Amino acid sequence: MSRKRAKKSEEVELNLAAMLDMAFQLLTFFILTFKPAPVEGQISMRMPPPHPLALASGGQSAGEKDTNDPVKGFNTLAIWLDSAPDGTLDRLSVGSILPGSNDRQEIGIAPGLQALKDKLKDMLGKPDTPFDQVVIQVGSNLRYDELMKVMEICTKQSVGGDPRNKLPGLSLVEGVEGAPPGK
Amino acid sequence: MSGSLSNKSSAEPNLTPILDMVFQLITFFMLVTNFKNNLIDKNMELPVVGTARSVDPGEMLQLLVNINAKHEYTVGSRVIAKEDFGPWIKQTAAQSRMTERRLERIKEDTDDLTTEIIVRADKSTSFRDLNVVVRAMQDEGFRRFSFRAMEKAKG
Repeated sequence: MSRKRAKKSEEVELNLAAMLDMAFQLLTFFILTFKPAPVEGQISMRMPPPHPLALASGGQSAGEKDTNDPVKGFNTLAIWLDSAPDGTLDRLSVGSILPGSNDRQEIGIAPGLQALKDKLKDMLGKPDTPFDQVVIQVGSNLRYDELMKVMEICTKQSVGGDPRNKLPGLSLVEGVEGAPPGK
Repeated sequence: MSGSLSNKSSAEPNLTPILDMVFQLITFFMLVTNFKNNLIDKNMELPVVGTARSVDPGEMLQLLVNINAKHEYTVGSRVIAKEDFGPWIKQTAAQSRMTERRLERIKEDTDDLTTEIIVRADKSTSFRDLNVVVRAMQDEGFRRFSFRAMEKAKG
């Protein structure tokens, strides 16, 4: 009887020190390995393949992958980005390919990105704009950061004067290095 | 006499509050640790684009491809050699197609995939290297592309 009474009166105390040690070790691990993720954004777009844009003319067939001119015969606004050997943007020009035309028509050289922005706004923003797609022909050496500046401008453009009507698609084509645009 | 009594008594601090606090801190760090960061190749410097939108993956299937400053293609921690890149994309596209059909994201009669390709490229990457990825992905039916950039410059 006396034993039972003694047991009942005992208080069981957990030793929290060991658990605290372990918790501190876990905390130290998480603090040391914690690296906040960099703030990254992205430019999203729908990019159809460029090769079906070729017009069946001049010995080329539509859908031919190896054509150097994937934008013939469409209401396409073309942007040519020529790269310098060090990968920077050397020359930036805007042109169009209209139905019935076999040659690229260079509308103008944009001396800078702001000029390109204004030109695109002028050409795409009209309610009766003939353009329904944009193709960027890019020099092989052009650096990614230079290309992103142009893509940023293109993706912000609205078509036909309606700000909700964004470009349905954008195509990137590798340009022949050293060849003048439109040839 | 009373002084001798106080010497014998032992002071035991109550560890429960500090344990509670430590567990809360552990929970916080566990929640904010982003294990998806392991997919990101950190040995690269992304271009800075002010209007790049924050990433909201939603329920979209995504595939992340890195092109680092050494012009290597990496997926997760795996480096894919240039000659192996084509076969890898074919295999990945086949897997994506199966997954999307199982999830009923695409119809049987279409080749277009809805999986989003996320391209993270070092800012010095040439368009030639970037286009290898884009063209190969387009040829396999991928249509949605996202190009990652920093919203603001570091520091």
